[in-house]
Amino acid sequence: MSRFAATLLSLAAFLVGWKLLTVLTGTPDYILPAPEVVAGRAVRAIGSGLLWEHTAVTLTEILLGLAVGATSAVAVGVALGKSVVIERVLSPYIVAAQSVPILALAPLLDIWFGGGLLARVLICALIVFFPIAIATMVGIRSADPLLVELFRSLGATPAQRTTRLEIPSALPVIFGGLRVGVTLAVIGAVVAEWAGAGSGLGVLINIANQGLFDTPLMFVALATLAVIGIGLHGLVVSIERRVIVHP
Amino acid sequence: MSPRRLAIPLIAMLLVGCQPAATASPSVALRHVTLLLGFQPDVQFAPFYLAQQAGYYAHFGLDVTIEYKGDADLVRLVADGQAEFGVADATDVMISRTAGIPIKYVETIYGLFPVALIGPKGTVPADPAELAGKRIGTPGKFGSSWHALLALLHAGGLTEADVTIREYPQFNQVDGLLNGDVDVITGFRNNEPLRLAAQGMQVDLLTVEEIAPLPGPGVIVGDALLQSNKADVTGFVAATLQAETEIAADPQKGLDAAVVAVPTIDAARDVALAVLKGTIELWRAGAPAPSAAINDAAWTSGYETMRALGFIDGSVPLDEMIEHLVRETVN
Repeated sequence: MSRFAATLLSLAAFLVGWKLLTVLTGTPDYILPAPEVVAGRAVRAIGSGLLWEHTAVTLTEILLGLAVGATSAVAVGVALGKSVVIERVLSPYIVAAQSVPILALAPLLDIWFGGGLLARVLICALIVFFPIAIATMVGIRSADPLLVELFRSLGATPAQRTTRLEIPSALPVIFGGLRVGVTLAVIGAVVAEWAGAGSGLGVLINIANQGLFDTPLMFVALATLAVIGIGLHGLVVSIERRVIVHP
Repeated sequence: MSPRRLAIPLIAMLLVGCQPAATASPSVALRHVTLLLGFQPDVQFAPFYLAQQAGYYAHFGLDVTIEYKGDADLVRLVADGQAEFGVADATDVMISRTAGIPIKYVETIYGLFPVALIGPKGTVPADPAELAGKRIGTPGKFGSSWHALLALLHAGGLTEADVTIREYPQFNQVDGLLNGDVDVITGFRNNEPLRLAAQGMQVDLLTVEEIAPLPGPGVIVGDALLQSNKADVTGFVAATLQAETEIAADPQKGLDAAVVAVPTIDAARDVALAVLKGTIELWRAGAPAPSAAINDAAWTSGYETMRALGFIDGSVPLDEMIEHLVRETVN
């Protein structure tokens, strides 16, 4: 069975299971809407431009947050991996930033950075940072010691060792961190919007749930976030396949 | 029979269809029901605490458990029968009923709409048209604060585009006003002015009732309960009104009940009492005592305003959103 067929079959099974759940339990649409109700609402939201208006905002936040978070995480991860001193100095702060619930921190960041796109990108970047930084650090340190020794004996500079040996050998682990990071970026964008935003899918969820009592629209927004997450994850996997040559 | 016990049947007589079966004797098992209150435990919920503690609900055969939920969940849970009673914004009732959620508003708790625009003294215009260009802080584009803001803007011939909206989803718009990030905020007139005064800011209010009347929050029930067990609903309404009336006459009684239900209130009794006294004024709406009756004029005005604002499309008529259980009229 091809991958595409397997994906379609899985999706069909999910939708049938969802529909059965609503029929067998008799759950009303305002608690758990049936898939065709959500699909119908999605068509209306797309047709009116409402869905794209909010999706574009969230996608921008995710991509910018991912770019800022991943770039800085790789840079810091390399430094952490190469220097025990830097690791000892920075680790407590990095772990602390990860341990503090982002939901609690987000409103403060929103106030500190003016409540605009910058604040939301930073919140998104913050949540993306940790898994990629840690993966990069672990990856840098996982370079084959024999190859490290060989580079040294051939007179490679530290920079050459980093760019030509340690980073390439760390790529599988870095991509593992990126896979986690892209899904967290979606969550980060929504959390950032909940801390303060006028539009975005997180805002649409709030409006649909609390403002319009429109449960199907809330599911449309949730499904859109899921599609974005799956799409970005697939993109990372696709790039990983092209970049990393497996033996 | 004590005066208190006499008062309950007297108020019950005001209620349409209140059946004698509701007056349960101690030997009859009480029916367990759940009351959902929005947001978080607070002194403003004192009538429910008092009615529970003083046995007013038990008098009508009800064993009431109080829980707290966000408004969106609260409405859905009551409609689905997972909870029997809830307290919700009337404007949310209009929207949710139009969205197909089978709930009805059966008892007025707040005679006045509790949300107002609040700003530093001397800076809040009396004419909503003069809000143009103002920076306004509000929790989000939902709920009573948002409805009040849009109703005022609409009354002034303005739209959202004529002002700058700054959202404070953590309900910290007071901080925004104190920081000078916004010119005015939406807030509960029985709460935010006190918080701002404590920070040294005296304020003025722009309220909706003279400009664009909206009905205040009240008790909601699901259609199914109303059809199957109206006696429970009328009993609940009577017991709550009894407690509300007693607290309006003696706020200390409400504060004491609130402290029993929410012991943390005891740490700031003076503030809680001030909030409660402000809340009582909103319950009474200028009348000598609170009324449970549905204010038809405010509902009709609110319905038209919500329709003009696009929150409802008019497909569900007003009389499907409310149930008149009280004979008295406020019109």
